[in-house]
Amino acid sequence: MIIRRVLAAIPMLFLVSLVSFALMRALPGDPVDVMLGSAQKELPAEDLKVLRQEFGLNQSPAKQYMLWLSGWLKSDSLASTNALGRSYRDGRPVKEVIIERIPATLTLVGVALIISFTMGLSLGILAVVLNLKNKKAETALTSALLTLYSAPNFWLAFIALAFLASPYSSALVNLPILGLHPPGAQPSLAYAAEYLLLPAIILSSRRMAKVALYVRTLALDELGKEYVVTALAKGLPLRSVITGHVLKNCLIPVVNLAGLSLPALIGGSVLIETIFCVPGMGRLMVESTFGRNYPVLMGLVMLYGTIVILANLLADVLNNVIDPRLQQ
Amino acid sequence: MLRINSRPNTKLIAGAIGLGLLLLIALLPLALNVVLPMFGLSIEPPISNLHAVNLAPSLNLPHLLGTDALGHDLVKMIAYGALGSLSVGLCSALVAVTLGNVWGASAALAGGAIDSLMMRFVDALLAVPSIILLLTLSSILSAPELVEHFPPILLKALGVTNYTDGLLPYFIVILAITATTWLESARVARARVLAIKEEDFFMAAQALGSTFYDLLSKHLLPALATTAVVEGTLLVSDAIIMESGLSFLGLGLGPSTPSWGSMLKDAQSCLTAGNWWAAVIPGLLICFTVLSVHMLGEGFFASKRARGKISA
Repeated sequence: MIIRRVLAAIPMLFLVSLVSFALMRALPGDPVDVMLGSAQKELPAEDLKVLRQEFGLNQSPAKQYMLWLSGWLKSDSLASTNALGRSYRDGRPVKEVIIERIPATLTLVGVALIISFTMGLSLGILAVVLNLKNKKAETALTSALLTLYSAPNFWLAFIALAFLASPYSSALVNLPILGLHPPGAQPSLAYAAEYLLLPAIILSSRRMAKVALYVRTLALDELGKEYVVTALAKGLPLRSVITGHVLKNCLIPVVNLAGLSLPALIGGSVLIETIFCVPGMGRLMVESTFGRNYPVLMGLVMLYGTIVILANLLADVLNNVIDPRLQQ
Repeated sequence: MLRINSRPNTKLIAGAIGLGLLLLIALLPLALNVVLPMFGLSIEPPISNLHAVNLAPSLNLPHLLGTDALGHDLVKMIAYGALGSLSVGLCSALVAVTLGNVWGASAALAGGAIDSLMMRFVDALLAVPSIILLLTLSSILSAPELVEHFPPILLKALGVTNYTDGLLPYFIVILAITATTWLESARVARARVLAIKEEDFFMAAQALGSTFYDLLSKHLLPALATTAVVEGTLLVSDAIIMESGLSFLGLGLGPSTPSWGSMLKDAQSCLTAGNWWAAVIPGLLICFTVLSVHMLGEGFFASKRARGKISA
């Protein structure tokens, strides 16, 4: 079963690569045109031809695609970095430009994923308990969660920034903001944790609300089932029914949601990184969008797609581990 | 004791409230552009007034909600911004749902290799986070090299001349948002059609010799329409958030067309001047619009379920 899922992921990766390559080539004009702009009028035709040859543009599209793909698969050799293309901005190989941005984004998204699921699960359970004990408090909680779910992340982000920048905040919290470490200091994990806390909390806000609402619906559905009535009838306290039975049954869809949350969180990180000046892939994405730096853009599309496919695969495998019934 | 709080009534009421709020918001631009001119009145578009910069909201007219860093009156900006945000939201949801349903239904009807080819394409696009696709597409679509190659009829219809972009920014933003949001509804539509193909009533209709047109119009379209409306409402809210994100980055409708997203972008620079209202008000509006769209969708779903048109 797991092997079949892994095998199914391979054509997906292939398709994503095909889509990102096609997008790159959808533009009229080739990389040389875009890179040189109007300067190419002043260059002799032979030089342009040499440049095009260097980019592999004199070959058929299929051959170009194979070259581009092999750039991802091969380890660092000059040929492979050339095939992937170079950043229009500074001429550095795309692979190098992207790889140095990965850790910041992965840390941010990882922390946000952990926050959204721990907080989301707890708030969801709280809503279920309140549903049984205090309906009004539950309505207030779910309305607050729905409002949080409707608020764009980037808006919350810069409201938070404005608050932290205002004189009132220093008495309450003293969180460093913007960037990954103090200017001039060596980057370190401790700095990263401190600097990424607020961005991660804000990035996780919508997801957290969604997880909480989802857990609430799932658990309330479960509570209506017969085995719960049986468990309560034989005298089990409500607390152990919820933790022992109901939550266990809710876990599978929640793990599935975690896999599906990754694209949303990674997508959200684009705006959050831009606002908090985190030097991650998301900010590179925005910079490349504005600079029309297509080789970097397509590299990023490819990489994001790969991460998402792998995350979904991981969620599938985890589900198989949690629920043995799925293995048949 | 255990009572499960999922009565459809509360959802129906919430849906009605959502619809009311949405109508209220949608009436803003309508009132500005249609109703007031009918009575010979008109409110001028917001103009910058450097003598009234960063005014706080106050009951002293004329600036009820205050002004932004360039002295635009926020009430007017919100009303004009609603036009941009809502029209992009509605149009892209409409196009996306139509495209998704046609694509998904065709795949299901065609079956076999065509089906799997069409759906694998959808899967591949779904693997890329939507904002990544959105940024990439809006970058490519707005590239001057590509715009030059647009068919002249299209450019003429959009009102693009040498001096003005006309509706071109709308077109690009809607196209980019649509291209990233139709995928989910294609999947849903395909699953729906596949399920209907197996139903007894459909097979009976086929066996009785119904024409393809009859099958489509009497059985498939009504079934798809219900889910499409629910999807459509949710897509409107997604599209509004997407547009605000794009505008916030400066890739939205452009400086000449205000939208709530571009208001947020402009407000960012004057936050340090203590002007929080210019940032809070448009954000709250986006928040409430999205919330009302959600409530409307849920209410619609609940009403259909109550009438047994959708199985849970």
